[in-house]
Amino acid sequence: MRDSSRALRLGVCGPVGTGKSSLIALLCRELAGGLGLGVVTNDIYTDEDARFLRSAGVLDPDRIRAVETGACPHTAIRDDITANALAVEELEAEYGDLELVMIESGGDNLTATFSPALVDVQIFVLDVAGGGDVARKGGPGIERADLLVVNKTDLAVHVGVDREQMVADATAAREGRPVVALSRTDRASIDALVSWVRSQLSTHTAGTLVPQDPGPMAPHFHADETGGTLHVHDHDGLHVHEHAHR
Amino acid sequence: MHAHADSLLLLLADARLPVAGHTQSGTLEPALAGGLTVDDVPFFVATRLRTVTRVEAATAVVALHRIRSGLKLDDVERAWAARTPSPAMRATSRTQARALLRLTSRLWPAPAPPVVELVETPHLDRLEDRRPTSRAVALAHAADRAGLSPRSLARLVAYDDVQTVCAAALKLVPLDPAVVTGWVFDALPLVDRLADEVAGLQLPHQIPASGAPQIEAWAQAHATATRRLFSA
Repeated sequence: MRDSSRALRLGVCGPVGTGKSSLIALLCRELAGGLGLGVVTNDIYTDEDARFLRSAGVLDPDRIRAVETGACPHTAIRDDITANALAVEELEAEYGDLELVMIESGGDNLTATFSPALVDVQIFVLDVAGGGDVARKGGPGIERADLLVVNKTDLAVHVGVDREQMVADATAAREGRPVVALSRTDRASIDALVSWVRSQLSTHTAGTLVPQDPGPMAPHFHADETGGTLHVHDHDGLHVHEHAHR
Repeated sequence: MHAHADSLLLLLADARLPVAGHTQSGTLEPALAGGLTVDDVPFFVATRLRTVTRVEAATAVVALHRIRSGLKLDDVERAWAARTPSPAMRATSRTQARALLRLTSRLWPAPAPPVVELVETPHLDRLEDRRPTSRAVALAHAADRAGLSPRSLARLVAYDDVQTVCAAALKLVPLDPAVVTGWVFDALPLVDRLADEVAGLQLPHQIPASGAPQIEAWAQAHATATRRLFSA
């Protein structure tokens, strides 16, 4: 059973370079005054993300822990969450005031999402510079993460992406789940993000939060096959590997 | 109904055991960065079995004997630490121990038998009671719960070390995995020999001081490297 007295565990995942670290730094700046925070980063090849966050000066550097993933960022957040779970439990044991622990996944592909055994809620981050069609491609994180952030919307005009269309595609793919079109130059979008996080905190504290698994893939129903069995498809077209598997 | 010790040995030796094994290379990553080539990896594996892995296997066996005899483990931990001079290797071992203890407390939730002195033995069920435990001692706890013989425990330590290095090799240098499994296959007699040699140890001072200064130095350098896939 989940313990609503412990800190809320918020996962932030999404492809490389979409702004996961910056989003966490932003949330630290917005929330640090009133909330006990901790951060766990998962880098694939460096401790760049942990160093970025420490140097951003938004949080006591000791509250930012880096977990090594052995080149398997998806494993560390989904099948063998042990290293991350230990890092979170240690932060909780060392800092009694923790109310929110943010876990940043290593930048992976469009199919990587957190296990509900590790996080209570998760944000999937895309950015306009990654291409306006990415939201339409869908995938577990885009479709079913608790929140989808379309980041760097201020860059849309510079990279030839129709911001409104991309947000509309994302919204359509999510069947009503929330989307925030974020830009650090757009105060209203920051407020919307912070407000979403606060609402998750309230639900968590009230003990009514039920972690949702975005799934590796949604089961597809094929009515034309015998017995109408549910089975899972692995859509290879969605795999956009941005790190080298060697 | 209890599982057979052989089945539990398979479980504990399985790379799919959720103890963050994918974060480890058995120091292969800094060794390759330090000049070893692909062709050296089988020799590297054999060297580890004669040196650092021998220390770990012997420590585990002695710890298992002491757990089953109701004796304290502090001098076992001290003997291991004295034979593992690299702080980075000790830190990594203790991190792996926490992952193992976390799992062991789920698989065998009953509290440790009262004969085990909890003064120096981590209480498996409460994080705040966990004192720094080495991986060897954590494995001894698991082996005790699983009913493994000392020889099986030593074999587990040695086999896991070989597989850790070889699995990391597949990520660090592009190879046909059948070749790498051949390295593991060829190392199995060395695994057996190590298990035979340390299985009868019972006293901390019998743990061989067979460290490998170069491996320790590589581990130490790796702990501060900014670009790496694996833990030190």
